[in-house]
Amino acid sequence: MHDLRKKINLAEVLRANAVTIMFVILCIVGLAFSGQTVSYVMYELFSRLSRNAFIVLALILPIVAGMGINFAITIGAMAAQISALWVIEWGISGLPGFLTAMLMTVPIAGFFGYLIGNLLNKMKGQEMIGGLILGYFANGLYQLLFLFIFGNLIPLKAPGLVIKGSTGVANTIDLSTDRGFKYALDGLVRVDFGTGLYIFCALFVVYALVQLVLKRSSKKQSLTTVAVCAGVCLVYQIPFVAQMFSMVTVPVVTFLVVVLLCLFNNALMKTRLGQQFRAVGQSRTVANVSGINVDRVRIIAIMISTVLAGWGQLIFVQNMGSFQTYGAHEQVGLYAGAAILVGGASIRKATNGQALLGCILFHLLFIVAPSAGKNLFGDAAIGEYFRVFISYGVIALALVMHAWSGVQAKKKKD
Amino acid sequence: MTTNKTRRIIAAVLCLACVVLLVLGAVNLPKKNNASGDAILGDLRVRTLLNATGDGVVESYVNIAKKEAQAKAKAEGGGMSAIRDAVKKAEEDTRAKYENAEFSQGVVATPELLTAIDNYTAALAAHGALEEAAKQAYIDAHYEEAKAKMEAEREALLAAGKDVPEEETVEVDMSGFVPTQEMLDAEAVVDGAYIGMGEALKVIYPVLDDEALASLQETIDAIVYQPGDSFDTQYDRYLEQLGTKSSSGGYLIRHSDDLIYTALALLVVAALTVFYEVLVAKLGIPRVIIGVFFILLCFMTLWYDLSLSTLLSNTVVRMGMNAVMVLAMVPGIQCGISLNLGLPIGLVAGLIGGLLTIELGIPGWGGFLFAIVVGSVIAAVCGYLYALMLNRLKGEEMSVTTYVGFSIVSLMCIAWLVLPFQSLKLRWPLGTGLRNTIGLDSTNFKHILNNFLAFKIGGFEVPTGLLLFVALCCGIVWLFSRSKTGIAMQAVGNNPRFAQASGIDVDKMRIVGTVFSTVLGAVSILVYSQSYGFMQLYTAPRQMAFVAASAILIGGASTTRCKISHVLIGTFLFQGVLTLGMPVANVLVPGSTISETLRILISNGIILYALTKSGGDSRA
Repeated sequence: MHDLRKKINLAEVLRANAVTIMFVILCIVGLAFSGQTVSYVMYELFSRLSRNAFIVLALILPIVAGMGINFAITIGAMAAQISALWVIEWGISGLPGFLTAMLMTVPIAGFFGYLIGNLLNKMKGQEMIGGLILGYFANGLYQLLFLFIFGNLIPLKAPGLVIKGSTGVANTIDLSTDRGFKYALDGLVRVDFGTGLYIFCALFVVYALVQLVLKRSSKKQSLTTVAVCAGVCLVYQIPFVAQMFSMVTVPVVTFLVVVLLCLFNNALMKTRLGQQFRAVGQSRTVANVSGINVDRVRIIAIMISTVLAGWGQLIFVQNMGSFQTYGAHEQVGLYAGAAILVGGASIRKATNGQALLGCILFHLLFIVAPSAGKNLFGDAAIGEYFRVFISYGVIALALVMHAWSGVQAKKKKD
Repeated sequence: MTTNKTRRIIAAVLCLACVVLLVLGAVNLPKKNNASGDAILGDLRVRTLLNATGDGVVESYVNIAKKEAQAKAKAEGGGMSAIRDAVKKAEEDTRAKYENAEFSQGVVATPELLTAIDNYTAALAAHGALEEAAKQAYIDAHYEEAKAKMEAEREALLAAGKDVPEEETVEVDMSGFVPTQEMLDAEAVVDGAYIGMGEALKVIYPVLDDEALASLQETIDAIVYQPGDSFDTQYDRYLEQLGTKSSSGGYLIRHSDDLIYTALALLVVAALTVFYEVLVAKLGIPRVIIGVFFILLCFMTLWYDLSLSTLLSNTVVRMGMNAVMVLAMVPGIQCGISLNLGLPIGLVAGLIGGLLTIELGIPGWGGFLFAIVVGSVIAAVCGYLYALMLNRLKGEEMSVTTYVGFSIVSLMCIAWLVLPFQSLKLRWPLGTGLRNTIGLDSTNFKHILNNFLAFKIGGFEVPTGLLLFVALCCGIVWLFSRSKTGIAMQAVGNNPRFAQASGIDVDKMRIVGTVFSTVLGAVSILVYSQSYGFMQLYTAPRQMAFVAASAILIGGASTTRCKISHVLIGTFLFQGVLTLGMPVANVLVPGSTISETLRILISNGIILYALTKSGGDSRA
């Protein structure tokens, strides 16, 4: 009897995490056939993680508030690019430039977020498709701004921003010149993998101990954290494992920012506002009856998400060193949304862990897919198309599964 | 009617301005073709001519100075290089001396000159007319030959594995053109008239020599006469040559038609301010905005002297090209799956049908019908499976269908790379997979509907076959919606609970609607491709469903209700704004992509608007 129940639970677990498990298998297969060394893949993975994790984490709040995946984060990315453009125009380079851009993103993205929230409140239940279309629409406005207003009506003086003979801002904006802020964050502290691992493990241990002393967490929790950290550090001592990470360098500050965002997400959930997010996410009707201003809460969730997405895009571009003026923001929503779903989140529930796991798996597949496609089918383009298909397919699958379970729950109720 | 006082006043002012402009325009319009217009043109023509010959005077002075310098240097017994230097210096000096001299200043045209110019102009016009007729006859005679040659070149390109250029106008090679005897005679008359005019000019500028006159002939030709001249083109040309601003009288005549257009545009705006509420209540804000925008664009094309009839003709072609795709939204909305954004499923099925036709080499109508049948069968099967899935997701269709559509398109990207098509028209000879755009030609179904019974009225070309086909499709959808099944299907879309209570199989009706919509999607991409001349694979079908959805919404449909008229009105307005918007935008901001931006804004804006109308439930 006991065994049987355990088996059912196992099946349940498998089904609930079907997407994640499928992705793990895909990644392993891809890794096996890609012919790339593990150390190279790890090197790529860590640089991709450092620049993409933040923006994926920005998706959590709207999901908790019941608005699904916020595909309108592309608009946050646009706000970031507007800020980046002006920081370069003013010639503020390096870390001050990056911080100025971050600061400037807050009001712009906040304002956009306010507008998005108001619009999405008019299409409750259709937020995701609404956000997607709104992203496309905003892209049109963005093009108007960058093609006909910046560089024409409002002149730009910095070299390279406007190319003579063509209208509007140049196609690519370079951050690696002496006016830009390439590696402003990444370059602050860069250590090899081992050192990075020790630093973060030490931080976690200290955090766990502080929590224990303040009696915010149980003895068991804190000790587990300490044990895990110690275990990880020990495993790293095996030469074979260390070899795998030999090429990796860790931009400590960037990862620290990601950790801070995770802590922020957690802390926010414990505040009154966080409770309201959750209440609205579970049932708008109940939340409304209990006196929560549903519309306001939803707007706040979108505003925070949009600002965070803007910061995420800034982290992304400072790592890349340049960005496509008219294209860098377009796929942000798609890739971030697919990543968080791969990690096991649904469009009603998401955690920091799922976002990070999803980010790792999704980008692992991105790294290995082209060369695996080349080795398996003799064409790298197949791998390219495959990963785009996977991105859309994962989102479609998550939406189908969610809608399906919703309909079935309704049937049960009837 | 509005009760708002300020708006009434604004409307009244606009009407007043409109009347003033109308009167001004009406008074000045006839002057384009009567004596007073001719007088202005004649005056300008003489001034331009004198101005141009003034340049010839400088040339004459330069020639004289050069000859003098040469003779002088020779007399002094200098070497070759010394002579060359002296001549060069003399030329530079003379040019510098007369650089800012205005010879035409204060010169008065003699009566002899005026008659000479008139003679010359008449001779040129006669010659020009003859030449044009002869050239047109030559083009007509050699058109088929040139077309065959171009197609042979295309075949050669295909065989060599290069991309076929998208340019499709047939250019007749004019190198074999021989002037007719009539033309030669007319040319002799022109030359005679030119010499006569030269004599008259020499009276005014005594220094002018025959050499300078000969070198000036081509310039003067271009000033005085150009093929297809009207008042407007001559006026603009003279002003540009003279580099002066136009006089107010001339300006009014030149823009008299534009004044009338502006007056009418003002009238539209005035009517809008007065009847705004009524219009919005009847049509909805987006349709009012886009409708008025379209009308104003029409006036702007007239103002910028763009050919409105050609543009409207293009609009009709593009409307026919897209209408079936928009029509595919109708069964979807009627059966209650709202906007079928999963339409790419049908589009891809249609593309496979088209590819098979080319692969098997079935020509003409047979090939087109074969493509439609194969595409429809595939679409029906896929649509059925798709409908089964949608039946499990009632109420959440929009976002799911979007991403299912995206997934199918990207899955098919892989398929296009690996499907075993052999024809070199379809695949890259080197490398794997099918081409991005597959050029259709006359051996396939390119323009098969567009050219069927097509005829021309002035600049307006009517693609009869295309319109007939669209009408046929609309008729089928309309008849279906009147049938028993169609009525049941609409009942399901309007109120599923009621439909179920009255014994209708809701799921079955949704399947019928979805399959119908998908099949129409397959047909639509073939209609689109035959008109466009190319089949676009890979990511091209991804956004097409959005364009179709926005067109039907512009036409006045909502996500739950629609009619055939919405399809036609919406497609016409949407395609009209895009077709007219592009040339107007290019006049305003040359070389810009603003019309693409316009498409993005309109298409997504209208979908957003429809979403706010459909999903706007209570506060909670």
